[in-house]
Amino acid sequence: MEWKNCLNIKAGRAGRRVLVLLPFWLFVVADLSAGVLVAPTVVYMSDRERTGRITVQNPSDEPKEVSVYVSFGIPESDSLGGVRITLADSAITDPRSAADWIKVFPRRLILGPGETQVVRFVARPPKDIADGEYWARIVIRAEHGQTTIPSANQVDGIVTTLNMVMQTAIALKFRTGNLVSKLEVYDTRIEPSDSLVQVLVSMENLGNVSYVGLLTSILYDANDRQICQDNIDLAVYRKLTRNLNLPIPEGDFQKPYRVEIAIGNEGRKDVRAEYAIPGNRIEYGLAVE
Amino acid sequence: MRLFKNNSAIGSLAILVAVVLVFSGANVGAQDVATGSATATVLTVLAVVASQALQFGDVMQGVRKAIANNVDASSGIFAITGASLKEVSAYMQLPDYLWNSTNEDRLVISFSATDAVIDTLPGTPTAPGLGNSGNVDPHNLPEFQLANAGTGSIYLGGTVWPTVDQRNAAYAADIILTVAYTGQ
Repeated sequence: MEWKNCLNIKAGRAGRRVLVLLPFWLFVVADLSAGVLVAPTVVYMSDRERTGRITVQNPSDEPKEVSVYVSFGIPESDSLGGVRITLADSAITDPRSAADWIKVFPRRLILGPGETQVVRFVARPPKDIADGEYWARIVIRAEHGQTTIPSANQVDGIVTTLNMVMQTAIALKFRTGNLVSKLEVYDTRIEPSDSLVQVLVSMENLGNVSYVGLLTSILYDANDRQICQDNIDLAVYRKLTRNLNLPIPEGDFQKPYRVEIAIGNEGRKDVRAEYAIPGNRIEYGLAVE
Repeated sequence: MRLFKNNSAIGSLAILVAVVLVFSGANVGAQDVATGSATATVLTVLAVVASQALQFGDVMQGVRKAIANNVDASSGIFAITGASLKEVSAYMQLPDYLWNSTNEDRLVISFSATDAVIDTLPGTPTAPGLGNSGNVDPHNLPEFQLANAGTGSIYLGGTVWPTVDQRNAAYAADIILTVAYTGQ
């Protein structure tokens, strides 16, 4: 895939600043070993394979207290294309939620320095559920295994302790029956300015699985010269609006511009082929006015 | 889009950063804990780490104390490591109070709409990288794209409001950051 550099205007200045700041940043990342690592980041289960697993590793020198629970949350967007994944632990009304019937073993564990632990999941879906995909989020919560809190007679003054708790939420997908991946674009808005073309693409999932793919937008000038390109990894569960920003660098680009948009399942290197569900491909172009 | 393909300096830097990350204490390269069969699975590991807690230091009765999001020694720092250029959603659960050990007294804490900074290029609280978001609302963090090196940081400030008769005690609360890929 050919990428067009849209940001080379600032690249030289950025490079110098980045090099200056690199030692400070390395100081920050040096403490990255304080977290737990979880793999993989998507768990696939099915009616034929009702168990799944993740592996949690503590690469640090300190024990970690880890808890694992099942929640529900899908990517949702606002009208400007901002995306949120809001987790719900109770009162889940989405009929595609699997959160109530996925069980976790173990739910709490202490990982010593360098230790690895497998956490398993078992699906117990209701009988006669409709074909398609059911969703949940596995939340892995990590805290320091030992926290020092001053006792009352040690405190001379007001002392505050804020425990920084880290959670990673990974997707769990349970599949059953005939699977259909189909997407529809129901609105596209183009908002040009002098230095930027903003494209808002609103999509709706018409299949019974999450549509996982790639949204590509390319800006051309009147002479078919490619000005800029933006790509976004897509996961459309219900409706979703995504925002693509196409900066216009200084150059001899002739108006009117046009935007070519493509949506497809291809090009996702983070989805293993055996788990990919091919869906429809959408391609269209719009004039920038 | 943020691949600096035409700039050799940035390209070299990206390689250097990747090498440093793999061989640093981050141990990000040691993701052989995955199901083991596909490189793609290894690449998508997502980790969030609290590099530094939000620290208010000495707090006086009746005197509010604010810590900005750009104080190296005191701002809260979360570091996120994942796959290169992948977009993540981050959600922060912030407390309204800190409680003492007996749950008999509480200390008000607040976070303003400008108390967080997201930084996706190398930086520190005092000097965030060029990938910084500017001040954003920690209650409503925008999604963001991890850097080429697969990294991002969130710097957090806040304010505590002790009353004039606030009891001398140790007060504690949790700040919870949840991170997820938006594209899966």
